[in-house]
Amino acid sequence: MVATVLRLRYRILGNMLARSPWQLVGFVFGAMGAAGALAFAAFALVLIGASGLEAVRGVVTVGGALLVVGWCIAPLVAGGVDTTVGPEQLAPFPLTTRQVMLALAVVGLAGIPGIATSLGALSALLAWGRWPIALALAVVCLPLGVLTCVVASRTVASFSRRSGGRIGNAMALLAFTALVLAGPIVTGLLGVVSGGTGPASAERLAAVVEGVSWTPVGAVWGVPGELAAGRVGTGLLKLGIGLATLAALWLLWRRNVRAASVTPPRRVVAGRRGRLGWFGLAPTGAVGASWARATRYWLTDPRYLRNLLIVALLPALVAFAFGGRVEGTPFAFVVVLPALLLGLVPYADVSYDGTAFASVLATGIRGRADRAGRLLGAATAAVPLLVIVAVVTVGLSGRWELLPAVLGCALGAELAGLGICAVSSAHLVIPVPAAGDNIFKRVPGQSFWVGIALMGFTLLAAALVSPALVLAVLAALQGSALWSWLALAAGLVVGAGVAAAGVAIGGRAFDRTGPELLARIRTTSGY
Amino acid sequence: MPTPPVASVPALALTGLVKRFGQKTAVDGIDLVVPTGSFYGLVGPNGAGKTTTLSMATGLLRPDAGTASVHGVDVWADPVAAKRMIGNLADGVRLFDRLTGEQLITYTGMLFSLPREEVAVRTADLLRLMDLGEAAGTPVADYSAGMTKKVALACALVHAPRLLVLDEPFESVDPVSAANIEDVLRSYTGSGGTVIVSSHSMDLVQRMCDHVAIVSAGRVLVAGTVDEVRAGATLQDRFLELVGGRTRSEGPAWLRQS
Repeated sequence: MVATVLRLRYRILGNMLARSPWQLVGFVFGAMGAAGALAFAAFALVLIGASGLEAVRGVVTVGGALLVVGWCIAPLVAGGVDTTVGPEQLAPFPLTTRQVMLALAVVGLAGIPGIATSLGALSALLAWGRWPIALALAVVCLPLGVLTCVVASRTVASFSRRSGGRIGNAMALLAFTALVLAGPIVTGLLGVVSGGTGPASAERLAAVVEGVSWTPVGAVWGVPGELAAGRVGTGLLKLGIGLATLAALWLLWRRNVRAASVTPPRRVVAGRRGRLGWFGLAPTGAVGASWARATRYWLTDPRYLRNLLIVALLPALVAFAFGGRVEGTPFAFVVVLPALLLGLVPYADVSYDGTAFASVLATGIRGRADRAGRLLGAATAAVPLLVIVAVVTVGLSGRWELLPAVLGCALGAELAGLGICAVSSAHLVIPVPAAGDNIFKRVPGQSFWVGIALMGFTLLAAALVSPALVLAVLAALQGSALWSWLALAAGLVVGAGVAAAGVAIGGRAFDRTGPELLARIRTTSGY
Repeated sequence: MPTPPVASVPALALTGLVKRFGQKTAVDGIDLVVPTGSFYGLVGPNGAGKTTTLSMATGLLRPDAGTASVHGVDVWADPVAAKRMIGNLADGVRLFDRLTGEQLITYTGMLFSLPREEVAVRTADLLRLMDLGEAAGTPVADYSAGMTKKVALACALVHAPRLLVLDEPFESVDPVSAANIEDVLRSYTGSGGTVIVSSHSMDLVQRMCDHVAIVSAGRVLVAGTVDEVRAGATLQDRFLELVGGRTRSEGPAWLRQS
């Protein structure tokens, strides 16, 4: 039975690779990357084996813990490890829950990440080679560790697929935030650990290893080292923690698999009536309706929301790169680049509608109204955020007199970008994840030329808003409030002008290209 | 040539519609005249080109050749004017399903520039008609297939179009709602509105429609009033006779239980 499911998994992979040569290329590169990492890991482990028991124990424990954490995050950010074969798909077949879980675990082990992890764990045997007791225990503990990886990943995936993917998307956004901030967090932690003098830092490092080896994700990896060092009691205790972790994950996963096989993945909660939201505020008419819809999607759909999140997080990253020294002119302008990028987010906005675009097209909406509604919706979401971020960052930089200039550049760039998008999205359709899909789902078929076009749009937006940029630089150099206010005026005038021109030009194009856009959505996204 | 009197202008006239997808010809020269006030059924096997034809008739898919006109307005020359008159329930497309049912109907009404109070009244009526009152505040993404169909139908009706184009409107809709919707559509055609509906249910078409066209492999095999088309037999029998491909067998031996 397990073999049948495994064959099914490989058949799906084979069909997918046969259909798209680019995915095959990606697959080959992935496999080569995994092989390279493996060779390196094995080599490093042998070297470390020569440098003493404590070193091996530390590296295997921390490395193993990172592996487990990585396997937990992967289903959130990589669109699911093997979601092609999940409990929902196996539910109609006469299999017990245990058989389903067994099959899924084996499928997880037999993919490239699973094989790589297994081989990597095996290579840890090389490192333990000099301590027979450790080697004997590693034969038991390393497979347990690998199994923990696979089961943990399946458990996280089973949670993320509940409630029609909405919880999953919330978790994915959280994981994404954590990833964006991973650099500062890790460096911060390392700073805490290694701050101070030599011997003290080594001690702290040892403390970190000790701490990790007591956590559920690290315990099982540390067991061989404890016994080799003669600490039998500690070793058995950690083995207990590891086994308990695996058991707890298995039980949680079993609960979700059972739930998935009896209840269809649909949540029916009767929401209250009469909550029109933006539709109650916008004026009636094609522009108002499109505006309300676009705003609603910008503020609730993770595919859009993610971009707003980046704008809020990017200044924090820059502040970190500056080493926390945020006073002064450069940091005052930190919001301008994210504003430029945010303005260009909807450069193929119609793609995000999916085939729901048919319901827009069927109403015979004028291109101008559609463009204006989308532009206003994006601006409604972006402008308040940009103003807040600008005020906070300029405040932190201590150069309040530059606030008008910064606002001019940021809002000018955002509006100019949206104006460009009003034209480009009447022509371009790109493959994007469907509404409700995991936002990190890789969608094949992103074309090289679209990337070039996007780069061109970025340069164009920057060029259009350059009058405001020049005035802002003058304001910063001369410390003059007059230049600063002029920069604001220039930014707003340019932004509004480009936006209006974009709506007019894009609207005319849209009147012509509407049916072709729908046809391309059907062929590129197919949903 | 004298212009024909207004009454004789058909609600929907298709002439020589052709659509190719690569090598495959999905619609191969379809002519169809849907008289004003008729309840017109469009039936055909899977892949006959029904959805493609209706997409071209409603301005969603540009035909390779041929014309479509709604009440005398060419759909592809003046799409805005033509689409104002059409209520379209397309098959196999998503909705903006992050919106609640109530928001989606309101949104569609606003797109057609109905006054705000009018939108509110019509939305409430449609929610009641479709028996969606309970789910009005639930995102459409959480609806069942039948509920999704009903809310899409409500969106097609909200601007009181002169021509309703319904692609598979009763698929997965429960019998009670289907009967209610049927009543509404009947009184709509009685008052001068026109409905063209594609369906796989011969019984339903025979009962509801006054006209029917059978299409297969991108062509109209026969079209006319239901009585003309079925010529004494049931529509089901006539359909099978015209389309062919029926196999008379008891099925494989291993499937038989005794």
